[in-house]
Amino acid sequence: MSHSEHSGGSDHSGLYRAIFGLLCVFTALSWAADEAKAFFPGRSTLAVVVLGIATLKALVVMLFFMHLKFERAWKYVLLGPTVILAIGLPLALLPDVGVHYYDMDVPQDPISQHAFERLDPADGPGQSH
Amino acid sequence: MSHIQTSGHGAVRMGLAIPNSKLCMWLFLGTEIMFFTAFIGSYLVLRLGSPGWPSDVADTHINVRLGGVNTFVLILSSYLVVLAHEAMGKSEFQKAWKAMLAVLALGCLFLGIKSIEYYGKFSHDILPGHIAENDYQALQKLVGESVQARDTLADRLVSGGDSPLQKATSIRGKVDGVTDAEKAFVAFETAVADLKSKVRKEEISLHVGSGSPGAHELNPLIQAYLDKWRSDPTVGPAFRVHDPHPIVYGNVFASIYFIMTGFHAIHVIVGMILWVFPLLRGKNLGADYCDWVENSGLYWHFVDLVWIFLFPLIYIVNFGSAAVV
Repeated sequence: MSHSEHSGGSDHSGLYRAIFGLLCVFTALSWAADEAKAFFPGRSTLAVVVLGIATLKALVVMLFFMHLKFERAWKYVLLGPTVILAIGLPLALLPDVGVHYYDMDVPQDPISQHAFERLDPADGPGQSH
Repeated sequence: MSHIQTSGHGAVRMGLAIPNSKLCMWLFLGTEIMFFTAFIGSYLVLRLGSPGWPSDVADTHINVRLGGVNTFVLILSSYLVVLAHEAMGKSEFQKAWKAMLAVLALGCLFLGIKSIEYYGKFSHDILPGHIAENDYQALQKLVGESVQARDTLADRLVSGGDSPLQKATSIRGKVDGVTDAEKAFVAFETAVADLKSKVRKEEISLHVGSGSPGAHELNPLIQAYLDKWRSDPTVGPAFRVHDPHPIVYGNVFASIYFIMTGFHAIHVIVGMILWVFPLLRGKNLGADYCDWVENSGLYWHFVDLVWIFLFPLIYIVNFGSAAVV
C-alpha cells in the first residue's frame, strides 16, 4: 500500500493541523493585502506580495498535503519536465506581453475607430494612452 | 527503471515503488499543470497587453470576500482529505468516511458560492460577447435590448403564431376597444423607434459632460427613458434592458474569467464524483479503497492548488497600465 511509505504507522495529525493553520494565515494575509492595497507603493507591489504568498501556499500544499516531501526521487523525474514546460510557456509569451499586441490604439474595425474618436475628441488615434 | 520491486505478495515486478494508479495520477496531474498553465499564461499576456483592463468592482462584479471564503473552503477540504487518507492508513475507515463526506459537502459549498458569483455576472450581462466596449456599442446594445423588450411585449399582448412585427402592426392598427396595455405598447414602440433613429443618426450621446469617459454622467434623456419604462406596469416586466455601461476589454475579461473559473469548477465537480465512490461503500469501506482515496486526494489537492493561484490572479492582482509600462 503506497500510503504506508509516508503515513502508515506514523501520526501526522499535528503536522497537518499546523499546515492547515499556516494556509489559513496565508489566505488571511492575501485578503489583508487586498484590503490595504491603498498603502502599497504601486499596484505591481501588491501583485508581487499576493503572488508570493500564493507560491508559498502552493509549495506547502505540494510538500505536505501531496506528500512530495516524503516521496522518493521519482518525483523529480516525473515532475521535472512538466515544471520546465510550465515555466517555459509564460516565458515564451513574454515578448507579446511586452509589445501590447492587443492595443486600444489600433481599433479592430472602422466602426470602433469612429466610436473612439467620438469617445474623447481631444485624443486622436494613437494618443489615447 | 533499473530497479526491481518486490510487492507485498512476494511477486517480482518492474517499475517505481508506487502503485501504477498513483503513477498514472501523477502523470495525469502533469498534463493538468500544463492545461492550467496555458490558461494562466494566456491570461497574463492578455491582461498585461491590455492597458485599462477592467479592475473596478463596479465593472467586473468580482467579490473578493466570496473568493476568499471559497479559498478557505478548499483549504479546509484539503485538510480533511489528508485526515481521511491518514485514517485509511490506520484502518479507521468510518473516520475516513466522515471526513470524505465533509469534503463532498465543502465541494458543494464551493460551487454554491461560485454560483452566487456567476449569478452576479449573468444578471449584469457580464458575459463574453455581450459587453459594450465603447459608447457607440453601448447605445447599440441599448437599442437592441429595447427592440427585444418590444417584441417580448407584443408576444405577451397578442397570442398566436404571428411574428412580433405582425403582432405589433395589429396592436397599432386597432381602433376600437384599445386597452391600457395596448396604449402603453404603442407609446413604448414609438419611444424605441425614436431612440433607434437618434442612435443611427448619432443625435444622442451616451454621456454628458467632459473629462475621461468613465467620469461622464449618463445622458439624462437615456436615464429618463430607462426610469420611465422600467417603472411602467405594462412594459416594465418585459423591459430587460441593462444600464448602458461600456467596459473597455470587458469581453476578454469575461472570457478569461469564465474559462478559468469554469474549468476549475468542472474539476471540482469531477473531484466530488471521485469522493462519491468510497462514500457509497458506507460501512463496508475497507482497505481496498486506500489507493483510491490517496489518488483522489492528490487530484483534490491539485484542484486546491489551481484555486490558490486563481484567487490572487483574478480577484486581487490589479495590473494596470502603469504596471505594463
